[in-house]
Amino acid sequence: MVAHPLVMKNATKFFGGFLAVNQMSFEVPNGKIVGFLGPNGAGKSTSLRMALGVMNPDSGSAELFGGPPVPSSLARVGFLPEERGLYKKMTPRSSIAYFAQLKGMSSREAHNRADELLKTAGLQNFARTKNSKLSKGMAQKVQILSTLAHRPEFLILDEPFSGLDPVNQQELEDLIRAEHERGATILFSTHVMEHAERLCDSIIMLARGEKVFDGTLNEAFATLDRGVRIELSSPDFDLGVTLAAKGYRAHRDSGDSSETEHSVWHIALDPGQDAQDVLRASIETGAPISSFAPDDARLRDVFVKFAGPQAAKALDASAIRDEAA
Amino acid sequence: MRNIFLVFRRDYIGYISAWGFWLGLAALPILALLGASLGAFAASTTPARYYTVIEAGDAYATEIERQFQRLRADLAKQTEALTEGLSATAANPAAISVTAESIPPKFIAVDPPGRTIDELRPWLLGEKLILGPDGEKPLFAAIIVPDGDRPIEYWSDNVTVGELRRQVEDADKAIARSAFFEAQNIDPDILRQANDVARDVIEQKIRTVEEQETTGNEVTFSDQAPYFMSIGIAFMLWFMIFSVIQYLLMNTIEERSNKIFDTLLTSVRLPQLLAGKLAAVFGVTLTMMGSWGLFGLGAFLLGATSAPAEMMEPVWLGLRTMARPDILITAIISLVLGYLMYGVIFVAIGSLCDTIQEAQTLVSPLMMLLMLPLVAISFTISDPNSAFVSAVSWFPLFTPFLLILRIPTAPPAMEVIAQLGLMAVTTALVLWLATKVYRAGAVHGAGISDATDWVKRVIPGLGKAKQTPAE
Repeated sequence: MVAHPLVMKNATKFFGGFLAVNQMSFEVPNGKIVGFLGPNGAGKSTSLRMALGVMNPDSGSAELFGGPPVPSSLARVGFLPEERGLYKKMTPRSSIAYFAQLKGMSSREAHNRADELLKTAGLQNFARTKNSKLSKGMAQKVQILSTLAHRPEFLILDEPFSGLDPVNQQELEDLIRAEHERGATILFSTHVMEHAERLCDSIIMLARGEKVFDGTLNEAFATLDRGVRIELSSPDFDLGVTLAAKGYRAHRDSGDSSETEHSVWHIALDPGQDAQDVLRASIETGAPISSFAPDDARLRDVFVKFAGPQAAKALDASAIRDEAA
Repeated sequence: MRNIFLVFRRDYIGYISAWGFWLGLAALPILALLGASLGAFAASTTPARYYTVIEAGDAYATEIERQFQRLRADLAKQTEALTEGLSATAANPAAISVTAESIPPKFIAVDPPGRTIDELRPWLLGEKLILGPDGEKPLFAAIIVPDGDRPIEYWSDNVTVGELRRQVEDADKAIARSAFFEAQNIDPDILRQANDVARDVIEQKIRTVEEQETTGNEVTFSDQAPYFMSIGIAFMLWFMIFSVIQYLLMNTIEERSNKIFDTLLTSVRLPQLLAGKLAAVFGVTLTMMGSWGLFGLGAFLLGATSAPAEMMEPVWLGLRTMARPDILITAIISLVLGYLMYGVIFVAIGSLCDTIQEAQTLVSPLMMLLMLPLVAISFTISDPNSAFVSAVSWFPLFTPFLLILRIPTAPPAMEVIAQLGLMAVTTALVLWLATKVYRAGAVHGAGISDATDWVKRVIPGLGKAKQTPAE
């Protein structure tokens, strides 16, 4: 058993003159859940496709189970692509069995496994319905089951939550945890930080085709300053200027809009500084405070810190597009 | 190999479980039966038509009838010659006796119901029926022969059937010639005798002395069978290839639009996927051919037990011709290479398109180009040695359909090998290029506009290409 099912070494990919992925290096440790985070266009899918040998890097390399991605190593991987689909004229049972057989299962074993998975997912009554007649949610479940059918050691899920309703997102989170408990290593890409916060042991953050952070969740949060969060009932009051005069570093929330009737400010606490002092100083400036709380560290803030506010806006836009879809 | 087989099996089952496949499978036998039945029905139901001749005396009526008698006698003679030719090669020869009297007339003369065209008009327009040997019918035509040098008038409502009019012209020539000889005081019997001494021209085929001793010199059906069979095979190859490659196009478009490529390509290598797909449609081709072959065999066995041996002889000859190694090997190579060449082109086109409409813009010009082999095949029917066919068969895209047409003319072996080699090299090149396009479409999501950009990059001066989008 290798320590790292996937190792990317300086993988670079151009599309024409466009640099899609630049010098991408990371390792996915065995038995861990790793989040691959970044907005649309950050190079997540291209990196994953290079990892699986669907496309070759222009320079650098991808090692799957200690070697190049070849059929024997790919048979140990379950891949759910971002753009996923099913053969419309096949049934869920035959679809799952077909992909399982392509991964090396015998016909009988694959069909038995398909029956088992469909029953677990509550789709046994649709086992022989044509895929074209399934609802979108059912079809997505069948696609996910097809990925798991051959009991892969390593699951690579590209935007698995995309297009799922909250109930199905929760079911998928449970499924990922179950696969992890089974012993599978999981790498999934997402632009929704909350999924990563709930599921991941470690994260890799991407922006503009480059890796900007690679580490555990704790390491990610440790990069953020201690601080407090102050919400003001007026959007016009500039708390940053007034607190700066008293030696505090404050910035307005990047997701805040000038059109709202309130504003949110984050104040970093340097060593020796205290939350109570910040509150007192804010009151003294006459700020219309509506709430005051310790600032919870969020992955989004980590992303802003490493990728910058522009990348964060792209991340938010991706989430909005996903919700609209 | 296992994954190629799995892709093959999935695609193959997908094709043969579709209604379209069974309709296509049934179409050929049904059309063949329908065509044969309709032909026989049309021949048997073509009515004898009535005509009348208005003249002073009966010279024209008699001469026209004599012309028809001679035509029927010629037809009887040709039919007997054909059966004799077949019997010469049959194991159990049996003559079929055909006489002029046994061939029903197409036109029957009746007494004129009037003397002028105005009087005849209601019968010619079908408003009135005239009683004749075949019962009551409209008058098909009236021939009015005026006195003197004025032209003969041929009246009919039907302007497409010209056979009777031609007989009238021939009769007029015969009568004029006879009158000329009489005017020159030459006995008409002498003219008739002069006509009788005219000799027949017998078509013979030059053979080696040994062949001549065993088969004789006369041209028989077995000499013509290879030409007929090669034309049939060429048509069949064209039909087979163009009826099945549509499957590849549709299937690839479906996989692209259903976004299955990424899932497939992490389980199957791209060449394996392509090989499985091509094998599946080739399997469909073989299934169709096998089914039609079984249908033909059934028809043959049915015919063999119920039809006279002479009637089955052309079928035997056809089968023997098919088994000729030069024809059989050329047909097999042409089918395989032709299928591969066109198959991968259609797969490549399909991989660039999300919809059938998109594909049509690329397929339509290609289909128009590929109508040219059909034109060449029709040339071969009138002249198997046509220089046009010889020249066009060197174009590799047409070689699969046209080389087979040249085999019965015994072209030089080196020429055949060169054409087969050129076809094989072209197929390899097309396969290589189409695989690259397929990869671009399947892996990189390239579309028609990207293909256009690529052409612009390759051909300078066509404009600046745009960049391929990432992710």
